[in-house]
Amino acid sequence: MIESFITSFRLKNTYRVNSIIYSIKQFPIIKRILPNSLYKNKGLKIFANIISILIEILSIFVGKLIYIASMIFAVLSFYETNQTDTFLHIFLFLTLCGGVLNTYMLNPTKDKYYAIVIMNMDARKYGLSNYYYQLLKLVIGFLPFTILFGMITKTPLWIQLALPFFVVAIKLIVMNYSLYDFNKNQKAKNENLPTKFVWSFVAICLLAAYGLPAINITINQTIFLCIFVFTLILGIYSLLKIHNFKDYRKMYKQVLTITNVYAVENNSGTQAMKNTSLKQIELDKNYTSNKSGFAYFHELFVKRHRKILTKAVKKQSIIILAIFIAVVIGINVNVDFKEKTNDILMQYLPYFVFIMYAINRSSSVTQAMFMNCDHSMLTYRIYRTPKVILGLFKERLKTLIIINLLPSTLIGLGLAILLYLSGGTENPLNYMVLFVSIIAMSIFFSVHYLVMYYLLQPYNVNTEMRSSTYKVVQAITYFVCYYMIQIQLPTLSFGITVIAFCIAYSLISLIIAYKYAPKTFKLRV
Amino acid sequence: MKLVVKNLKKNFEKKEVLKDINFEFEKGKIYGLLGRNGAGKTTFFNCLNEDLEIDAGEFYIEDNEKKRKMEAEDIGYVLSTPNVPEFLTAREFLKFFIDINKKRIKDLKTIDEYFDFMKIEQEDRDRLLKDYSHGMKNKMQMLVNIISNPNILLLDEPLTSFDVVVAEEMKQMLREIKKKHIIIFSTHIMELALDLCDEIVILNRGILEEVDKNNLDNEHFKDKIIEALKEQ
Ligand SMILES: Nc1ncnc2c1ncn2[C@@H]1O[C@H](COP(=O)(O)OP(=O)(O)OP(=O)(O)O)[C@@H](O)[C@H]1O
Ligand SMILES: [Mg+2]
Repeated sequence: MIESFITSFRLKNTYRVNSIIYSIKQFPIIKRILPNSLYKNKGLKIFANIISILIEILSIFVGKLIYIASMIFAVLSFYETNQTDTFLHIFLFLTLCGGVLNTYMLNPTKDKYYAIVIMNMDARKYGLSNYYYQLLKLVIGFLPFTILFGMITKTPLWIQLALPFFVVAIKLIVMNYSLYDFNKNQKAKNENLPTKFVWSFVAICLLAAYGLPAINITINQTIFLCIFVFTLILGIYSLLKIHNFKDYRKMYKQVLTITNVYAVENNSGTQAMKNTSLKQIELDKNYTSNKSGFAYFHELFVKRHRKILTKAVKKQSIIILAIFIAVVIGINVNVDFKEKTNDILMQYLPYFVFIMYAINRSSSVTQAMFMNCDHSMLTYRIYRTPKVILGLFKERLKTLIIINLLPSTLIGLGLAILLYLSGGTENPLNYMVLFVSIIAMSIFFSVHYLVMYYLLQPYNVNTEMRSSTYKVVQAITYFVCYYMIQIQLPTLSFGITVIAFCIAYSLISLIIAYKYAPKTFKLRV
Repeated sequence: MKLVVKNLKKNFEKKEVLKDINFEFEKGKIYGLLGRNGAGKTTFFNCLNEDLEIDAGEFYIEDNEKKRKMEAEDIGYVLSTPNVPEFLTAREFLKFFIDINKKRIKDLKTIDEYFDFMKIEQEDRDRLLKDYSHGMKNKMQMLVNIISNPNILLLDEPLTSFDVVVAEEMKQMLREIKKKHIIIFSTHIMELALDLCDEIVILNRGILEEVDKNNLDNEHFKDKIIEALKEQ
């Protein structure tokens, strides 16, 4: 079993090391400095190995720290109940949730798929050894933080030490139940598609975790002790059952199908993403087009993708209207609220950069454009002639801008009206600036995403995202917008700056796109 | 008209896939491109289609002794994996392609005539391409490339996924259109290559070589090809 574990660990590590090297290689500058076969480069390999080990270690601790800190500790102050008991209470119920949602063993991940399906390793040895390793990581990862937060909340030492084992025991019990269920029905459940029953259970636990303390009900240490002893006994019994279970191979055969595995690893454009994109296509015989050439082509694309295009913005618009009406009512019934609103409109325009970023559809639309259209069309040489590329670019730009303008216009108008209703402003220019800057931001994001897509075309033939530059640009966009949340600036000056920036950026980037897109817009190989 | 390839090189990092390709492909012939798995056939096509940047060398078209650059309109490429826009129906896809190639199509037929030609059933013509089978998608891909009538047709293992009836008709069709085109055809099926192609070209160790048939009969010619493929 230990041998099996070491082999599988090596396998996972090799895979991770290669991915790390691959990502490093994707940066254009580094690619030029280190052009030769990087996978063989010793120094780099060692470096990647160190990173890989760091990732493994971080994965043990960081998640647990964030989990306890944000899901439990951060909310404690909201309740008036005893801190120790509340901590214990939330921890217990969240553990039940986590127990049924993630068993580790049944999670269809790529490394399991490689090892068991492709490399044909012994499923029982592989499954069990990795399972035990995961449980060990759980204990090691939780212990420092149950002690740390336990001390802060004045939880007794024995509970601090017991909690990680409690988590493990719950996992074991759930796992044992899954095996029992499999034995009975000969059907393994994909834990990433929880049943209605599981969802209801999770909902009840969440409600119990966060709801009960609000009405002054929590468990106490005695109750925990009883539950703990009980689960511990059941856990040990489960462990024995799990250890002696024979049919792992059969079970994994059912769990580790290609679709399941890809559904888990869908972080960056894989088959699963392609499949979801395909689902967006709707055929409606009534929608045709009487245009011709790429205008025809594009119009059909838009009409077949209403779900992610027009329907999505219509939904957004309705929500925006609802919020608008709610705020109007708020202004009329509460003076405090009215003043606050006015203040926000005059000082918090930067916040709306983030909102405009968040509601802009362009990123998912360009993704669908690739998955459902350009991915196949780019192989036709005729599709890559400057005439077609730029013609289609123009059509797409128009569509993106118009689509995003619908909710944006509502927001812009809404803000101007709210400013008026909430007491107005001395400088009437503010109304204009508020409206125009929102429109400018909307156009900016549309242009930005489309230009980036055409200049960096980040996907390869297998619809995988293969451009670090594109990822970096995305990340920067996000962080800049996110940073704006914390800034307060007078609407007038900030708005005018934003408008100027958006116009300048859009013009420059469009010129660049026109010049270079015919060269850059192709499939990555 | 000739397609001339001179000293073409393509490496993937240190791996030299195409070392030094020198060849002249002539109009009116079907070239059968044979090579072991991983020999670089697809890579060679990708280079000609400018999907990949080449590392050295050049390729161009020679028309009446005049050298000119290969344009997008000159080339049609049918990939081994089918690539069709899945949000269109077959009919719409054809219409789009005819639209953007209008100027160069000589005897334009109606869309249904093209479907008839490709044996695509009446009831399938207005279905979304995403619901087409592998072979049907390949048919569409082939059809579109034939309609747009490029001077050079690159076919990467094209007939493998066609049913026997269609494959036979495709072969006939390729023979008919070959007078006006340069057709390069990669395949792993020896019989197909011998049956259809006028010249057999072998890609081995990064070099492209013609195998002369001379006066050999088919059996001996086969042996010669296999020997050539085995050379390390
Ligand atoms: N994007 C790429 N990066 C690195 N190496 C590549 C890439 N594409 C192809 N290769 C390598 O180039 C070589 C030639 O591949 P190619 O696909 O051209 O072979 P092929 O002759 O078409 O093979 P098959 O008969 O199997 O289709 C292979 O060794 C392959 O590993
Ligand atoms: Mg190939």
